[in-house]
Amino acid sequence: MTWEKLRKIIDDVKEKFGEDLVREVYVERKIAKIVVKKESIVEVARYLRDTHRFDHVKGVTGVDLSRLREGGGPYIEVLYHLGSLEDQELNDVILNISVILDIENPTVSSLYSIWPSVEFHEREVYDMLGVIFNGHPKLERILLPEYWMDIPPLRKEYKVPGRG
Amino acid sequence: MVLDQFNLTRRIPKKTGVFGYTLAYSKDIIEAIVEEVIPDDEREEAIKEYGLGRPMKLIEGGDTHYVLQVIKNNSLIRYLVNWGRMASLWPAHLTTACCSVEFGAVSCSRYDPERFGWIPATGTLRQSDVLLIEGTVNMKMAQRVRMIYDQMPNPKWVIAMGACAISGGLYAKDSYNVLQGLNDIVPVDVYVPGCPPRPETIFQGFLLLRDKILKSRLD
Repeated sequence: MTWEKLRKIIDDVKEKFGEDLVREVYVERKIAKIVVKKESIVEVARYLRDTHRFDHVKGVTGVDLSRLREGGGPYIEVLYHLGSLEDQELNDVILNISVILDIENPTVSSLYSIWPSVEFHEREVYDMLGVIFNGHPKLERILLPEYWMDIPPLRKEYKVPGRG
Repeated sequence: MVLDQFNLTRRIPKKTGVFGYTLAYSKDIIEAIVEEVIPDDEREEAIKEYGLGRPMKLIEGGDTHYVLQVIKNNSLIRYLVNWGRMASLWPAHLTTACCSVEFGAVSCSRYDPERFGWIPATGTLRQSDVLLIEGTVNMKMAQRVRMIYDQMPNPKWVIAMGACAISGGLYAKDSYNVLQGLNDIVPVDVYVPGCPPRPETIFQGFLLLRDKILKSRLD
């Protein structure tokens, strides 16, 4: 039932934001993901929060796609894992919305205005992958030391010191 | 530099090996670290000033100081003072990683560390004797560890607990953000191995530290 509902939600979002959706990935009991254009992520997020009661973000992940074997390229993907506590049918599923950014200029608008809980997660993605979130209240280092001067360590071109 | 304010530059020699490189990977930090080698013609003066094998300057005071040292190092007085220090250790424990779970088990009634004079909790660093580092120390934490160590009054001892605090453990050799052994930043007295150590191993560490304190010389 829950996965059917998730399928319906994806179809609804597809209907409403037809051109803003890049693609959707849906495999039952495995993954439900919507890839949106980076200009419209705030609107899609607001629509999901207000209409479908996704009231919190479980986590924000960044992935460097530059060495992916199939479908890779000079891109960084930022994923928001959404969950719902209000809607009991959606308690045990996660809906992902993601944006794919250019690795040279990874800039996207922050979702802090929609879900304030993304604050620290976005700071971590900024720290580890160098993604800049516009509209974030305090975009500073959170895990790395203050004097870090190298490139962000989760980028694929980063070389670990000491490993030949 | 960031490291300068903790007086770390002397303790981190410039190394080209794997461990040195991981600690001082950043360009500016490597430039800030200067290896001090005393030239041959100044060596005698330096030995006269600092003494051979002494990290600190000799305290001036002449004969009085000498007499005080002799009294302090009288075996009976030394034994009594060290016995007092050994029998009531006031620890400050710094939870940096998962070893603290085992330390929590140690502090509870089943193992009862007060049998060895190990008081489970201390109010403040200014009253502490022993610093117990539990687990992985990363680069950001390393500065704080040194700061905590500097705040404690003499005499003080350090116990490194777990494989990560000893040598980097799981993150050894090629981590970008983990300190490769606690002895790079603070002098360590007792190493407690394990991942994480069993409570019995931690007790062995306590007993080794007590033994070390009882046999040590007074400053």
